[in-house]
Parts: sequence; C-alpha cells; structure tokens
Amino acid sequence: MRLLLILSLVSSLSFAQQSDSDDWGDDSWDTDWAEQETGLQFTGFIEGGLGGRLQSSALHSRQTLSGARVRIESQYSWQDVRLTAKGDVGFDGVQQKWQTGWRELSAQTSLGQHLDLKLGRQVLTWGTGDYVFLNDLFPKDWLAFFAGQDDEYLKAPADAVRLTAFHDWANLDIAWMPEFTPDNYINGEVFSFFSPWAGITIAPGFHAETPNDDEWALRLYKTLNGTEWALYGYQGYEKSPKSLTVAGLPYFAPLTAWGGSVRLPVGDGLFNFEFSRHRSTDDNDGHNPRISNSKDLVLIGYEWELVTRLTAGVQLYLEHTNNHGALLAASPFPQWESNHNRSVLTNRLTWRDSAELWTLSLFSFYSLSDKDFYLRPSASYRLNDQWRFSAGANLFGGDTQYDFFAQFKDNNNVWLRIRYAY
Amino acid sequence: MQRIRLLAPLLFAMALPASAQDIDAREIVKQAELAAYYAGDDGRSAARMLIKDAQGRTQTRQFIILRKDREDGGAQDMMVFFSRPSDVRNTVFRVVKQVERDDDRWLYLPGLDLVKRISAGDKRTSFVGSHFFYEDVSGRRTDEDSFTLLSDEGERYVLEGKPTDPASVEFNRYVVEIDKQTKLPMLINFYQNGDQPYRRVEALKIENIQGHPTVTHSRVSDLQSGGSTEMQFRFVSYDLGLPDDIFSERSLRNPPTDWLTLRD
Repeated sequence: MRLLLILSLVSSLSFAQQSDSDDWGDDSWDTDWAEQETGLQFTGFIEGGLGGRLQSSALHSRQTLSGARVRIESQYSWQDVRLTAKGDVGFDGVQQKWQTGWRELSAQTSLGQHLDLKLGRQVLTWGTGDYVFLNDLFPKDWLAFFAGQDDEYLKAPADAVRLTAFHDWANLDIAWMPEFTPDNYINGEVFSFFSPWAGITIAPGFHAETPNDDEWALRLYKTLNGTEWALYGYQGYEKSPKSLTVAGLPYFAPLTAWGGSVRLPVGDGLFNFEFSRHRSTDDNDGHNPRISNSKDLVLIGYEWELVTRLTAGVQLYLEHTNNHGALLAASPFPQWESNHNRSVLTNRLTWRDSAELWTLSLFSFYSLSDKDFYLRPSASYRLNDQWRFSAGANLFGGDTQYDFFAQFKDNNNVWLRIRYAY
Repeated sequence: MQRIRLLAPLLFAMALPASAQDIDAREIVKQAELAAYYAGDDGRSAARMLIKDAQGRTQTRQFIILRKDREDGGAQDMMVFFSRPSDVRNTVFRVVKQVERDDDRWLYLPGLDLVKRISAGDKRTSFVGSHFFYEDVSGRRTDEDSFTLLSDEGERYVLEGKPTDPASVEFNRYVVEIDKQTKLPMLINFYQNGDQPYRRVEALKIENIQGHPTVTHSRVSDLQSGGSTEMQFRFVSYDLGLPDDIFSERSLRNPPTDWLTLRD
C-alpha cells in the first residue's frame, strides 16, 4: 500500500516533467534547444530494491533489502548563493519503518576570491582509498553498504560548516560539525556481528548514546604537476561505538587523527599512498580493554587499465595496533583481539561494454593476517536515460567466527535494484 | 601571431622540397589541429548529444565545456559540466591535456562528494556512453600517426593517417578530408581491414564565430553496428578571458556560475 502511494507520487512527478517546455526529447532535437534553465527544476529518481540472505538466520528474517524510495532534488541560485536540496522519502520493509531525510540541504557561496563556504547538511569526502577510509572520518552508512544500496549511500550526510581557502601555496579545507555524526554502524538490526564480550554472534539492535559534542576535520592540499598532496587532521570520536563504558554500555571513544596522502600517475596507472595515526585519547597506553587502542593505518594502491575498458585496482591496507602487548595482557579475551598488524588486500575489477550500458564490477577484501574475506560482485545495466537495473551480492567468509569480515558470514546476501530517473 | 604561425610551415615546406611530402601532410594536420581544438585562447560552448543505437533507441547528454589553452597546440585545460540526463546532473569532468605525458583526468561525483581521478587508460573508448571517443573530444596527438597527402585537388586536402604504434589503437588507418580554407577536418573514415570504413566522423555544420570557423554540428557513426551520435554546439564564444584558477578542483565542487551563464 505504501509502495503504491510512492509510485503514484512519482508517476505524477514524471508526468509533470513531461509537460515541461524545457524538455528536449527526440522530437525536439531538430528544432528546440534546451534553453537555459529558469526557475525551480526538480529531478531525482524512484528506486525499488529487494535483497535476501543466502542462508536462513536464527537472528533475522530472510530479507536484507526491501523497499522503495523517492529522491527529489532541486537547486536554486539566489544572488551568489547556491541552495541545494536533496531529499529521500521511502519505506524500509526490512525494518518496517519510513525512512525520510535530507541527503543535502545546503547553501554554498564564495566569500571573495579565495574563500568558499558551504553551510548545512552535506556529504563530505576526501582521501585516496577505494572503499577504505583512513583520513576520511565523515559518516558512513555501513548498513546501506552491506545491504547493496547504491554506492552513494555509503556516504551519510552530516550537518556541517565547510570553509575552503584557496591559496597559491596550498588550499585549506575546514569542516566543523557542530554535532558529532556517527556512522550508521552495524548494530544487529539487520546484520549480526560477533561480540567478544558475549562470546557469540549477536544481533541486539543497540543504539549507543551519541556524544553531545562537535567534530573538526581539516585538510591542507595541493596539486603540483599532476601530483596531489594532502595533509589531514581530525578531532572527534570513533565513528562506531567500538568501546564500552565502565557500566558495559557501548560508547564512542574520543579520537584524534592526523595523516597525509599523495596520488600521482605512475606508468600507465595511478599510484596512491595514504597514512593516518588514530589516537584513542581515553586509552593512551592501551591498558583498558574496553576502549579501542590507538592505531596507525597505511594504504598503498595502484589502479590501471588492464585492457580496453577493463580497469583493475589493488590496494594494500595495514592496521598497526599500538600497545598491543598491554591490550593482550589486560584483555579478558586475548584470543579474539585483532592482530598486532592486520593487513588487507583489496582488488577491484571493473568492466564496461563499448556503449557503457553494462558495468560489471568485482570488489574483494582479503585479509592476509586473518585469512577472511568480503566479496562484492555487481552488475548494472543502464537501459536508457531513465532506467537502470542493478544486481549484486555481499559475500563474507573466513574460518573463525570473530575476525573482521568473518563475523558477518551469516549475513551473506544477494540484492536487486531498479531505478527510474526523472 | 596566428598568421605567422600558419605561414611558417608553408615557407618551411618550400625550402625543403625533397622531404616535402611528409612535412606537407604533417603541417596540414597540425593546422587542422589548431583550427579544430585551439581556436582563440579560450572558449566556451553548450553542447548536447543524441546517442542512437542500432535499434534506434536514443539517449541524450547535455553539458557546458570551458576550455583554455596554455599554449597553442600544447597543454590545455578543459572542464565539462553536465546538466542532463538527471543521473549525471552536476557531474563535472576535468582534463588537463598534456603534451609530454598522459592527460590528467578527474571526475567529480556530486552524490558522493568524490573527486575521482581517472587513470590514463585507453582514450579511444566512449565519452560518456556516446560514439564519440575521449580522443575525439580532446584531440588526438598528431605525432601518434604518420601522414601521407593523397590529394590536394579541389577544396579539400585528403590525407591518410597511419598509427606509429598500431597496437595502441583499434584502426589500421584513416583517411581525413580537411577543408583548405577553414583547415577544419570535415570527414574522417577509419578502416580496420579492407576498403570499407567501420567508423566515420563528420562535420555537418560550420559556423563562423568571432572569425573562427567552428564545427557546430557533427556526427560519429559506428558503421558496423549501425549506431551513431550527433553532437551540436550552441552559445559558442571565444576569448572570454577565462581566468586560470577556474580550471581547478575548486570548480568541481563550486562551479564558476558567472562563466557558465550562456548568451549568444
């Protein structure tokens, strides 16, 4: 019933679009030229998705993705200010609830020649990793990622003030989030995970209390002769509640981070290097097993075209836990703590047909240290400017029940999405 | 300055008649490159494409191109701002065309706020799903082919181009017809084997804009599959005085609205 409502809403929207004089469909090709846009224009899409587990789960129903959403986007320029609104209205059949919200609701302007300001809800991204984030500590939606939602939804929006200063020497990005925005983390509501404190795979559907505090993120960057340099800083909290309070409740431990990256063409491909030092300031010496230890993260990657229209990307990601000895000594479950050095190899293969209608992609994570993996195969077909069909899978595996990817192996799923853009 | 540049190769050819054949052909091609890709010091245009597959199904693209030359026939900055269809709206493509090495290319995906850098890759692949290749849009380097002048009778030069590295491209040779007056390539037929072309690039309409003959309507046909893409340009203007700093990452997130406002 709710789906019907959404469908009728969209069909009325797309009908309105057709009567728009701005249209330059096939008929108007020889005569009309789309004139410059005047007034408010609405674009967006409607999307339906279905996904299910490959094996039944004692903790969850079979469905991992079910529902439909309508995206409505519009932009308006007033004086030198660009206003952008992108909203989602949808129903999530898995969690049986409406999901509505702004993806973006922002005002952007230039303050003089060397300063840009963007205010309001927005998606923020930086760093060089592909599905691996070291210095990008802006919110992610891991639930959407695991359920097979469009890549766009991996990045969750945040309410922020973003100020960018441009200078010949370097550019400076400052993002201030007045309220800390966590990831949409895996909390058991749709996907189960391993809890070392419980000693089993659980699906509690918990919600940790979000710190009532702000977050800062900085980036100093410059492109020089095709080489992109950047330095980063962050002050806030870990983005998922990986730590526990004394009372045993999950909480977001304070986090400061700094790092750097470089990306440049090497040979026929692109090379990237990034590092980040994550400081867990509530557990500086690592003795508290309830609180995440500090970590040093390193990423090395290379992307190149293997043959025409087939691109390959490989990344090696290293995670070095500081004070690992202290952690093991204090931990009630040293056997389940992560390795002192965790390493993950990722590989992306993307193939497109000559008309760019078909896109086949396989992204894989494989941990060299834990021997567990996560595979993301997908296929997408763009029928025309309106319709796109996508299907894929999220496959986790590994020998243990507790390693990073292996803990999700009860959640293996396949998904299908149909999108109509208007 | 432009006049001197055009005259110089002719004088040079006259002075060296012995090796004239290749030099003549190459100079004609270089002039064609300047006419087709380097008119004015900078340029702006709205563009739209109608993509037809063999079954007659159509897709469209609409975008604005800003271009600025760092030097004539040399490095060049280009930005492409997409407005249609809605799934690519606000996507921005940025290229720094290089002479000594591969071009730098970035794609801005607004939904993710992601500045995605694109590896060098094959430039003879589809530009945004059309039958145009990246190379048709940004120009193929003239030193990648050797040229023979087949005919200079009538109003057009007819030249044959052969790749110096055949493994790097999908064609064996191509025949290009260049208008003697405008120096614009009017027709290019690409051949793989035999005498039947498999791919064709045509200029369908030329307009004189601010003294620069400009292709305002062109078509690429895939003669094997039967599909084709037409591209039209409007609101073309040259020598706007585009500032250097708009060709930057800044413009990906915050497009230079003042320079994207179109007027005839």
